Amino acid sequence: MPQPPVIRVPKPSRSSYQPHRLLSKNSLLQNHVKHFRELEKDLPPGQQTGMPIDSILTEGQAAEYIRRMTVRLHRPLGGV
Amino acid sequence: MSAGLDNLKHVVVLMMENRSFDHMLGALRAADPRINGLTGNETNPDTTNEPAPVAPLAEFQSQLDPDPDHSFPAVQKQLFFPAAGPPAVPSMQGFVQSYSDVEHNVAHSHKIMYYFAPGKLPVLHTLAQSYALFNGWFASIPGPTVCNRAFAHYGTSFGKVNLDIFYVVEPYQSVYERLLAANRTTKLYYFDPSSSTQEVVNLLKNQPQIFATYQQFLDDCKNGALPDYSFVEPNYSDHPGDDGGEQLASDQHPDHDVQAGEQFIASIYNAIRQNPDLWQSTALLITYDEHGGIYDHVPPPACIPDGFQASLADTGGMPFAFDRLGVRVPAILVSPWIAKATVVPGPEDPANGRVFEHASIPATITQHFIGNYDNRSPREKAAQTFLDLLTDEMRPDADCPSFQLD
Repeated sequence: MPQPPVIRVPKPSRSSYQPHRLLSKNSLLQNHVKHFRELEKDLPPGQQTGMPIDSILTEGQAAEYIRRMTVRLHRPLGGV
Repeated sequence: MSAGLDNLKHVVVLMMENRSFDHMLGALRAADPRINGLTGNETNPDTTNEPAPVAPLAEFQSQLDPDPDHSFPAVQKQLFFPAAGPPAVPSMQGFVQSYSDVEHNVAHSHKIMYYFAPGKLPVLHTLAQSYALFNGWFASIPGPTVCNRAFAHYGTSFGKVNLDIFYVVEPYQSVYERLLAANRTTKLYYFDPSSSTQEVVNLLKNQPQIFATYQQFLDDCKNGALPDYSFVEPNYSDHPGDDGGEQLASDQHPDHDVQAGEQFIASIYNAIRQNPDLWQSTALLITYDEHGGIYDHVPPPACIPDGFQASLADTGGMPFAFDRLGVRVPAILVSPWIAKATVVPGPEDPANGRVFEHASIPATITQHFIGNYDNRSPREKAAQTFLDLLTDEMRPDADCPSFQLD
């Protein structure tokens, strides 16, 4: 029986991972943080993250803020 | 109705980030002249007025750093240089000049013309040559991500051309809300909570039940639990995983690694492909939100106005009525019911060419799963739909590639 062609997909280089990349290099992520900040203003004080967004300078820090907000908003993950 | 359409139960859309058609797929013209890619003779003038040629030198990472400007004003320069904008016809001559505005380095500015050599993108190139490749799929707006992604979700950006959060204007609803109201099933799968959903954070707040993670997508494919319509988002950032490992951004947004995106696309395809029932009842559309400031040679066509006027503060003072499209992006429709190596002609074929944009996504989903539905934007109502590409004949398994991820 003929088999489907299998195409190999190489793995990215280990050096590709750069969570310390400056957020200023990615306007999309910068705005992603701002969008969540706008929603956070509507949350009760006890449910806010307490993270000042001015302190978010890297991609990894942005991801951490976005994670905290997503968990708060997404009920299946335990959100509000 | 074709047998392929008759069998269709699920549509999955995967939207990647910020790469133009020619950058990713332009090389494929050499092997198949029906593909409206690059001849190799295309150039743009640099700031010394020397021609910067296209070249098959694109790399996976570290080449488009800093990020090319793709704000609305920058894209107008890319499209119309040396003119300022309409009524001039897009020249596609301002990409190098625009990249020079970001970093004043003549040699570096030429890299905006680079494209991936044949075979360097095994996933995207294989899918493009195996299923249906669109020669004429354009971003909805000559501008950045958020407003373009809005067209995929709502069929409009509600008058926005920038990255700001936006608010829905009645009577329009997202395609997800329409589906739920019609008792259909739908999910937006984001990668993980640290990446989350892009552009539709308002939906996440107000309709959290329609969201799930990439891992859930994989599980739903395996268990035959995929909804009628799925929208999949890549990972938008490098960040630690829950297990302490490294999650590499897979969106292909410069300067994220393009190979990580290749692996992500392959994983979505394999998840559908490896469930035989799902494979024969699913159509997968892979596309990109916009070009990210990277060169493409096809002038974006005009389109029907959307009923909104953009703020002059956002357009750099240029009036814009959402009456012309953004830069061309890759788009591939995958299904075993698609004839091998289908090329859907675009503007290069005045007789048979078809023009698609992101409003084609909600237009297609609404038409297939709901039927008549009036409360849609003018752009969505006028948008081409794409499920007519499914044929009466299902290709044998041996004719459909699989991917093995290293």
